Amino acid sequence: MRGSPYIVADGVSVTFRPANRAPVAALADFDLRVARGEFVSLVGPSGCGKSTFLNVVLGLLRADAGDVRIDGRRVDGPAPDRAMVFQEFGLLPWRTVEANVELGLELRGVASAERRRRATELIDLVGLTGFERHYPHELSGGMKQRVGLARALATNPEILLMDEPFAALDAQTRDLMQAELLRVWERSRKTVVFVTHSIEEAAYLSDRVIVLSARPGRQKAEIDVRLPRPRDYEMRLSPEFNELKLAIWNALKEELKAGA
Amino acid sequence: MAARRLVLGTLSVVAFVVTWQVVLSLIRWDPFFMTTPWLIATAVREQILGGRLWHDMAVSAEAFAVGFALAIVVGIPVGLVMGWRRRAAYALDPLLSALYASPLIALAPLVIITAGVGMGARALLVFLLAVFPFVFNTYAGVRCTDQLLVSVVRSFGGTDRDLYLKVILPSVVPYVVAAARLAIGRGLIGVLVGEFYAASEGLGFAISRFGDTYRLPEMFSGILVLAVVAVGLTSVVRRLEAVVAPWRAGQR
Repeated sequence: MRGSPYIVADGVSVTFRPANRAPVAALADFDLRVARGEFVSLVGPSGCGKSTFLNVVLGLLRADAGDVRIDGRRVDGPAPDRAMVFQEFGLLPWRTVEANVELGLELRGVASAERRRRATELIDLVGLTGFERHYPHELSGGMKQRVGLARALATNPEILLMDEPFAALDAQTRDLMQAELLRVWERSRKTVVFVTHSIEEAAYLSDRVIVLSARPGRQKAEIDVRLPRPRDYEMRLSPEFNELKLAIWNALKEELKAGA
Repeated sequence: MAARRLVLGTLSVVAFVVTWQVVLSLIRWDPFFMTTPWLIATAVREQILGGRLWHDMAVSAEAFAVGFALAIVVGIPVGLVMGWRRRAAYALDPLLSALYASPLIALAPLVIITAGVGMGARALLVFLLAVFPFVFNTYAGVRCTDQLLVSVVRSFGGTDRDLYLKVILPSVVPYVVAAARLAIGRGLIGVLVGEFYAASEGLGFAISRFGDTYRLPEMFSGILVLAVVAVGLTSVVRRLEAVVAPWRAGQR
């Protein structure tokens, strides 16, 4: 990790207690340090608590033990310094693209002229100009997630939390969206915590990849990605990139067996 | 495709009417027990010209409108409360479900004994029949609210109030529209039966009186008018859905 820690998670544990069923420990004693402006990916087997961790950082879920601090301040609920991009997009179907992008600003009490200005700017940034008045059902999956990204960025958060944002997209759209995300990120340099199942995606996007153990998730390995930026698609064909994928895979494979 | 649908749909109605007319022109029939589409059409024309039909429609429409409006005003809030407050749902669900499932029209004589023979009693019958679709659809709409959208609003610091106004109420709209379609049919039954029992005017009264006096063409003209009104109201509701829930148009 480069620089001083911006996000500090210490001993975060979360156990779900569904009614009439045995409790499930999703995360146990999970630690993480993320520097300001860093792009960190979390990979791990299904159910290892990756998404759970994002919800704790977002402030929607309370940890049973441990805590998360951002810039030294303990997280105890959602705040304007964080925004999430959701796997299933989470767009309000009764709102147009424009109104969806404005949602966060509206909930934060931003005046309507300013909201419109920000939304127009972000819609342009994610390449959806001309679709402002469309409803989500009129958009493709990739376009929906562009709206999701624009909505998260509109509130100008310090930290972008991304919960498998491209998992619901087809392979080609996914490649395209990864490139788009890098392009947008190069311009804003937000701190990003990115959850994914894809080793390739994690290696391509991140400064650092954290491999989690099978449930309950712990930090199992940490792999620095020393590839130059800006990155392009061709880089994925290089020997360095393949070595990197192999290193992540080696850390992950035992956990996949344990989880399967 | 749309044209084929229209043609086929019209064709079956026309075939029905023509068959009816042709069969009755081939056999001997007793006008006490039967009539033909042609005679019905003539009766409709006479009643429209005579003004009686408009008056009956206005009388029935008044009771229907009052009862239906009341059903909306009461049904939607009750459904919302049941959806928002689990305890309210636990308390009300068994009682209201039992009432919804039972043939409430059986209460018509009681309603008329208690509330009299006026417009109010008939509006009350319409209300009793039409309120339940609104209650249960609204309740279902609240419960089916997408939890992901709730998380989204919360993640931007949204309050309970934001959640109600920006997520739950819009989620409920299509359910309420569906309720309106069901409630129209039930409400019309309420008006009719109310007028069968106790009224001296209105479409139900006209149908019942013409039936009693074996004036079948006139009786059928009342039924025909009702069918047209029911179809008209239902299509108004469908149009309304396109206006109040435009995002639904692409989901069907």
